[in-house]
Amino acid sequence: MAYKTFAAIDVGSYELAMKIFEISAKNGMKEVDHIRHKIELGTDSYLTGKLSNDRIDELCRMLREFTQIMDSYKVESYRAYGTSAIRETENAMILLDQIRTRTGIDIGLLSNSEQRFLDYKSVASKGQSFADIIEQPTAFIDIGGGSIQISLFDKDSLVTTQNIRPGVLRMREELGKLSYRSYQLEELVEEMIGGSLQSFKELFVGDSKIQNIILVDDYVSNILQKSVLKNVDKGHMKTKDFLRFVSGLKQKKPQEIAEELGIPQENTSLLYLSALMIQHMIELLGAQMLWAPGVSLCDGIAYEYAEKSKLLRATHNFEQDIVACAREINKRYCGNDKRARAREKVALRLFDNMKKIHGQSKRERLLLQIAAILCDCGKYISLNNVGECSYSIVMATEMIGLSHLEREIVANIVKYVTVPFEYYDTLRKATTMDRESYLKIAKLTAIIRLVSSLDISHKAEYDDVKLVIKDDVMMITLETPADLTLELGMFERNAVFFEEVYNIKPVIKQKKSSVF
Amino acid sequence: MREKIDYGKSEFYQNRELSWLAFNNRILGEARDKSNPLFERLKFLSITSSNLDEFFMVRVASLKDMVNADYVKKDIAGMTPGEQLEKINQATHEFVEMQYSTYNRSLLPLLKQNGLVVVEKHEELSEEDCGYVDRYFQDNVYPVLTPMAVDSSRPFPLIRNKSLNLGALVSKKGAEKHGQKKEAHKKELEFATVQVPSVLPRIVQLPEAQAGVKRVILLEQIIERNMDKLFLNYDIVCVYPFRIMRNADLAIDEDDAADLLKEIERQIKKRQWGQAIRLEVEAGIDQKLLQIIKKELEIEERDIYNIAGPLDLTFLMKMYGLPGFEKHKTAPYTPQPVEALASMDGSIFDKIRKQDILLHHPYETFAPVVEFIQQAAKDPDVLAIKQTLYRVSGNSPIIAALAQAAENGKQVSVLVELKARFDEENNIVWARKLEQAGCHVIYGLVGLKTHSKITLVVRREEEGIRRYVHLGTGNYNDQTAKLYTDTGILTCNEAIGEDATAVFNMLSGYSEPLSWNKLSLAPLWLKDKFLYLIGREKENAKQNRPAKIIAKMNSLCDLDIIKALYEAAAAGVKIELIVRGICCLRVDVPGTHDNITVRSIVGNFLEHARIFYFENGGMPELYMGSADWMPRNLERRVEILFPVIDSRLQDEVYHILETQLRDTVKAQFMQPDGTYEKLDRRGKEAVIAQDEFCKEYMARSQTQKKEAQMARTFKPETHIE
Repeated sequence: MAYKTFAAIDVGSYELAMKIFEISAKNGMKEVDHIRHKIELGTDSYLTGKLSNDRIDELCRMLREFTQIMDSYKVESYRAYGTSAIRETENAMILLDQIRTRTGIDIGLLSNSEQRFLDYKSVASKGQSFADIIEQPTAFIDIGGGSIQISLFDKDSLVTTQNIRPGVLRMREELGKLSYRSYQLEELVEEMIGGSLQSFKELFVGDSKIQNIILVDDYVSNILQKSVLKNVDKGHMKTKDFLRFVSGLKQKKPQEIAEELGIPQENTSLLYLSALMIQHMIELLGAQMLWAPGVSLCDGIAYEYAEKSKLLRATHNFEQDIVACAREINKRYCGNDKRARAREKVALRLFDNMKKIHGQSKRERLLLQIAAILCDCGKYISLNNVGECSYSIVMATEMIGLSHLEREIVANIVKYVTVPFEYYDTLRKATTMDRESYLKIAKLTAIIRLVSSLDISHKAEYDDVKLVIKDDVMMITLETPADLTLELGMFERNAVFFEEVYNIKPVIKQKKSSVF
Repeated sequence: MREKIDYGKSEFYQNRELSWLAFNNRILGEARDKSNPLFERLKFLSITSSNLDEFFMVRVASLKDMVNADYVKKDIAGMTPGEQLEKINQATHEFVEMQYSTYNRSLLPLLKQNGLVVVEKHEELSEEDCGYVDRYFQDNVYPVLTPMAVDSSRPFPLIRNKSLNLGALVSKKGAEKHGQKKEAHKKELEFATVQVPSVLPRIVQLPEAQAGVKRVILLEQIIERNMDKLFLNYDIVCVYPFRIMRNADLAIDEDDAADLLKEIERQIKKRQWGQAIRLEVEAGIDQKLLQIIKKELEIEERDIYNIAGPLDLTFLMKMYGLPGFEKHKTAPYTPQPVEALASMDGSIFDKIRKQDILLHHPYETFAPVVEFIQQAAKDPDVLAIKQTLYRVSGNSPIIAALAQAAENGKQVSVLVELKARFDEENNIVWARKLEQAGCHVIYGLVGLKTHSKITLVVRREEEGIRRYVHLGTGNYNDQTAKLYTDTGILTCNEAIGEDATAVFNMLSGYSEPLSWNKLSLAPLWLKDKFLYLIGREKENAKQNRPAKIIAKMNSLCDLDIIKALYEAAAAGVKIELIVRGICCLRVDVPGTHDNITVRSIVGNFLEHARIFYFENGGMPELYMGSADWMPRNLERRVEILFPVIDSRLQDEVYHILETQLRDTVKAQFMQPDGTYEKLDRRGKEAVIAQDEFCKEYMARSQTQKKEAQMARTFKPETHIE
């Protein structure tokens, strides 16, 4: 049987972990080994912005050991990712280069949204359980060391995703700076996350009821998975039982907690903080069920690798989640959904017809789609400065599944739909964007500009748009009885940019006959 | 309503040291048992002697340390260290008297009757014999002796731990020439000593004087006779053997030891310098001589043992090995091939894939365990071998196979437990050898002894990675596997394989796994697991569901476990305990309704397996493991408990327990006063569990041989050229 041996390495805020998987079409992903080493990188980077030399030495030593373990399993491929602790070091790039030189391991950096997306993928890899639970209003809570990601699902679809701070390790660091009595801890935790959570609830949940909480974390999930508690079934627990468990924790000393739950004593403080956070979320959201599927970032890394390498077929449409998320943002900023959908449709049709010309991949198609949905959202802030405002909104909004770079690409596209396009020499002064990304922005902006110009007065119905590319001309035929004088004017202007980018002249033709 | 009994009270427990002494007494009972072959009795007596040495070096030494440190915390039975020492002292004096009465009054005359004469004193030697032993002395003994005299310029020499020595009072020659004989004699008496070399055989055979009668003399008698040749300028006033025992408990502060290996080496060197805690002298020793030794060693009167016979009876084990007395020994047993393995073709991995395999040593050979590692070392599909080693034999084939595996490019990780008591030197040698071969050697865990016995072989197969695991109750020692009764399994059960990987990750210093599938590990989870299993029986009994516990182990002295057992018994759980050694539980505890029985089996093989049976309301569960129910196993060691999953194996393991429970000859039962008594066998069939197993496995082997012969076919020639 053909299978691949793969290693996923997670350089986390307080733990370095590696999972070895066998991946095959027949058996899916099978975890063969899970090696974990406690190393609180976050303690250094959150406090000082750098990793101490001792920590770097320890990290490199462990990674070298990981290499030996990979060799012993004859691992064919690996992916290693650093998350917030590495991301938040001031010298992340230098650090990663140093690690690569010393260990041979290439660590990629995950943005928060990428990391959460992988966490989310790891849960979705649980198949039917996930599909069933997100049919009902569900909050997906991913407690990391540095921050917490909350995503809302309803009717099998992602509604929104938000990142709030602090995460559990960062909270412990913050609390360490305070002097307080043990009975004050619960209140402090509530205060530290309460404000953000309350806003989240008001903005995104409103009066509706959240039925379930899906939990991804490193402490409470383990307890629920181990079934050391009563009333837990494969990570599922009624929230009222969980609240009882938390109130029991409050009465116990760390040593007692460690003994009863079979965990190392040094983990009890983080377990307790996580439990208090979850308690607060349950109370605020009114959830009835808690499900901790017991997966980790490593599962997500492996799942993504398997999916990308076509070793496995995706069980859930993750791109649809990103699109759903973009629609939700558009809705939040009072964008016109109907127009956004029309714009999206034509833009995608253009993209698909121009495959040979633009040479872009499916991923860029997704970026185009998101930009098409969001290119008007800045109007919520300023009708005159839509481009800049749309840019700011996109850059400030988490979109689970998009990397930071991809988000920046989308933000620039929505900006240059209305703002005069800046060339690379100018643009690179403001960002660290590479040439390739710049070209993507140019190509996708050219498409959206063209599509937007068709709807400048918002009269057009895009029900019937025909595209024909012949030689150096792209003929766009619109079948509408409306007066398109303004659109045609705008089109001319945008056609220049389009032609500059693609060397194809777009020509618009109106067909009114069928209306009569 | 009946008053609830507090089963934590000290009155419900026995002191572990006295319980240990009772165990040694049971072994002495075997030495005294006339139904045992004569030379087996010698062996048992020798074992009592080496056991007692270890007991003093470790347990008594530890209690002495406590007393010296004014530590007064009471033990499980409510005794302070001082009280315990007092009781131990009294019991040991009585015990030693019994040992020598057995030797002098029973065994020596019987040996003589059966053609082996032990010449007890050199003075009894004939002129011819004297010539022989003197020559033997000159040729073999003299060159290795280091006589030492003590005077004002030479300090009292180091007397090595456990070494046998001759102490003498000597006076300078010619002291009386000046007419001051009496005065000078008094003044000039000096102490001199020589160690009886341990490199030479303790037993020296004398030339045969009478056909069919062997005669032997002990080495110290030969040296004593030739003492004047060691101290040429002195007159020998008197010579007596003496032997000391020193505090040997290694108390390594692991947190402070930067290099554990070096620290242990240092501790071994230090061991011989430890405080003297016991002095054995020949009865009738010159009082002046004794006073000198006593003063120099700073030993108390009560720690002096006057021995009515040769010191250090461990030489009897060598005597057991004398050729020509086979009829006075139990016929040697040859461990039989493992039936399940012998009946299948293919590599050991093919066989394990077909079914889990139970190993029952020494009735079945230890060879499959060695082969498991040897085949893994050569198998091209094997990626890694990981093993814990606690005590290994000299020239261990397992070490050789592991080294070969590393040379063959396998990833070999070995945890060598350096802290295995009295085996440290041995372990360091093996550890270095493995490192040189390219193995990754882990020198134990800081603060914990790794006592678990587990081997993991990771193999890359057609269907993916498959893990083969051996889990056992005994050490990976092919020599002791011929003498210790142990059990083990070979399996490729996926859940156990995953756990085994997690065990080695943990032992390599990585974090513990998020959860375990089948294995339970000490020191973190095992005790709770046992308490849970016992508690479950209690609940079942309360609900009138079937409830029973059978537990076989070496020692039982954990308070929490015993308390849980009392509570379970009080709830109606029938508890059968087969505890070879220490047992702090009592059988007369109120409210337990005679539901607990404790038996101890002392036989030719050392009972060593740990097996636990829980009735579980009619769905029995069986476990085996490396841990006894002792605080040190459950709280300070890495131990593994593993379930017997395969129902066929469950039947076999249950049969082991059931056979031991049927033993009517070697089983001794704990009485309400804590003593042990054999069963009144009147009207009962004589069953010796160990013999039953020997017969069974031999019979199985015979049947298999017959079947193999019957299955032999001749291939007819079908083609004629």
